[in-house]
Amino acid sequence: MDNENEFTGADILLKALKDQEVDTIFGYPGGAVLPIYDAIFGQNFLKHVLVRQEAGAVHAAEGYARSSGKVGVLLVTSGPGVTNVVTGLTDALMDSIPIVCISGQVPSHLIGTDAFQECDTTGITRPCTKHNYLVKDVSKLSETIHEAFKIASSGRPGPVLIDIPKDVQFAKSKYISKKDISFREHRIKAGSKNVDKNFVQELVNHIKKSERPIFYVGGGCLNSGPQASQELIELVNKTNIPITTTLHGLGCFPGEDKSSLGMLGMHGNYEANLAMNKCDLMINVGARFDDRVTGRLDAFSPDSVKFHIDIDQSSINKNVKVDFHTNTDITMTLKEINSFIESNNIELEKKDYTNWWGQINDWRKKECLHYEQGEEIIKPQHAISRLYDLTTQKDTFITTEVGQHQMWAAQYYKFSKPNRWITSGGLGTMGFGMPAAVGAQMANPDSLVIDIAGEASFLMNIQEIATAVQYKLPIKIFILNNEYMGMVRQWQELLHGSRYSESYVDALPDFKKLAESFNAVGVRAKNISELDDAINEMVSIDRPVIADIWVDKKENCFPMIPSGAAHHEMLLSKYDKENPENQEKGKVLV
Amino acid sequence: MSSTSVYPTPINAFKQSKRSVLSIIVDNEPGILARIVGLFSGRGYNIEALNVTVVDIKNNLSRITIETLGEEKVISQIIAQLEKLVPVHSATNLANLSESYEAEICLVKIEFDNNEQDQKILNFADIYRSRTVQKRQNIVVYEISGTSERINKFLDDLNTIGGIKVELVRSGPIGLGI
Ligand SMILES: Cc1ncc(C[n+]2csc(CCOP(=O)(O)OP(=O)(O)O)c2C)c(N)n1
Ligand SMILES: [Mg+2]
Repeated sequence: MDNENEFTGADILLKALKDQEVDTIFGYPGGAVLPIYDAIFGQNFLKHVLVRQEAGAVHAAEGYARSSGKVGVLLVTSGPGVTNVVTGLTDALMDSIPIVCISGQVPSHLIGTDAFQECDTTGITRPCTKHNYLVKDVSKLSETIHEAFKIASSGRPGPVLIDIPKDVQFAKSKYISKKDISFREHRIKAGSKNVDKNFVQELVNHIKKSERPIFYVGGGCLNSGPQASQELIELVNKTNIPITTTLHGLGCFPGEDKSSLGMLGMHGNYEANLAMNKCDLMINVGARFDDRVTGRLDAFSPDSVKFHIDIDQSSINKNVKVDFHTNTDITMTLKEINSFIESNNIELEKKDYTNWWGQINDWRKKECLHYEQGEEIIKPQHAISRLYDLTTQKDTFITTEVGQHQMWAAQYYKFSKPNRWITSGGLGTMGFGMPAAVGAQMANPDSLVIDIAGEASFLMNIQEIATAVQYKLPIKIFILNNEYMGMVRQWQELLHGSRYSESYVDALPDFKKLAESFNAVGVRAKNISELDDAINEMVSIDRPVIADIWVDKKENCFPMIPSGAAHHEMLLSKYDKENPENQEKGKVLV
Repeated sequence: MSSTSVYPTPINAFKQSKRSVLSIIVDNEPGILARIVGLFSGRGYNIEALNVTVVDIKNNLSRITIETLGEEKVISQIIAQLEKLVPVHSATNLANLSESYEAEICLVKIEFDNNEQDQKILNFADIYRSRTVQKRQNIVVYEISGTSERINKFLDDLNTIGGIKVELVRSGPIGLGI
């Protein structure tokens, strides 16, 4: 019986995506999603980006989401299609990135028979998604998709997967639009709706009393939306309190501002880590006390009263016990703090924290990011500094791979706005940056998108250059080529007696020729005199470019708090030696 | 205690730990138990006992009761993690309620050889007011309910009788706040 009001599961999916204002989807076809691909064929609201491996699709969706604030969407087939996205889903879960993954599944009646390309998708992805579904009944499909988008983007965002058996893609049912769905509140986990006035009052009282306060800001601020940054800037300006951000917090507050101490943590700034260690009031805005940030827990900021704003209840008191917390949206809370200060005429201007700033400025004098650029070999730090100087006037998005280059990018590239810095923090996924750049460029076609890469990481998803070429995405891959898995080599040097076991990246391709073979453009800088030209050329070309920048192979990333050490036990250069007792303890950590 | 497992026995690892009974209300949907059990194993928490049944057919709700061991900080983290799961309505540590009651049910099958044993068994069964489910010549099956502690005591007492064979099944504790 054909009813005009009934649609196939595949059509329902597309209707729901349209309803959710999705205009871009990253995907790769296969047997179990052919009905959906058939539906994609006959429409034009949705742009499908064909990646070259499913891992590329999921990182592209992450890059798209991070750079646009929207939900990233991908489509993969059953079996190997979906197992290929497990890393990316885990990455999105760790870094709170809203994505929806649609996967095909073998027909319902074959589930459980070890059918061709069958795998237990919901079982495999359960621990690496915020939520997942197996839709067995087409009449539940519309509602499931709308709920999936809501869950992905609410509260602490994350990845959601919907597994759709092939017969359900063919089966027919009515479509229920987004506006006709009422969500069941307990399933959405959106945090507390009301600002905790008591928390705000306590915080302002503590700010008044404090001698050495600090803001410690993380990716939660980013996820709360651009307004959160505005409120944060207002609050910092009002209070004159120094601010440090995590890797993911970069850009929530302008990096060049005088109140910014830069990034904290394992490779964070000396002044940021010491200020965290010595502060008497810590205001945590959407950060999760990650081990990369806290260093040795029993020595973490011993003398401070700690306030924590986080929409995720489970992030509160997990690693570090705090004195006051609120489980509310950051924008709402910061807004309330600002207006509380305003409306009560609280005079914070008088508190200029002279001693505290004096102390911080003394720490700054250490110039922890200082490096010596010689006449010949390019220092990787210098390459990033030049990249920053030569692109800062443009509307730029930076993605990264994972390793030393990532940390140098975080240290030397400054961000003035949120959502411009896209990196894999929690999971540390090599191969993230290039597909993420594809996603960021799809979302921001007129902007400059650069993947700051290491040569080893880049090789992990190198196939996605073809995607960039096919869709004319002029992304730039800026490789700090040190011929080593530099970060691994650095740990081996510091902790394993310089025994460089398997960290030399032998048999590297010629990246310039490789670019050309993909119909992209290759540029190269072998020494300092070629660096600026290479950067300028890269930026000026309106096509995908691979820039192969040969950098000092033995350079290490400092400052560094070795694993197991505390904030005040930072190493500032290769001449600093770690306390041997810490070293033994730290060796077993990651 | 000798163990054939490659894992250390948890007894010593949980010296600081307190026993807690968690009561969790969830949407009764496929995979919900796997989500909860996966959360415990994935994060290294302990499940001592687990019980799950639909309790509200109209609203399709199940109640899951989990007995776990952990320091207070760990138990709070478990609750926070449970409450993040989409189908979870609420997760409560019964110990945090001002008033709550616990019960467990146990079926014990006892095989015995002689009259003396039979008399001792009967005596304990009587003291603990266990219900006789079935009695054959050399076999008796009792049903006993109450707190887990009470059941433990009953079983300890039975174990003082030499030469009998005991097989049993326990529901694990269930509990309700008032
Ligand atoms: C998928 C994956 N495998 C292994 C690692 C461990 N790891 C961290 S950094 C690194 C080396 C990265 O080398 P490269 O991309 O050349 O960057 P560099 O450190 O040299 O800048 C490795 C192997 C990882 N983070 N991700
Ligand atoms: Mg390298």
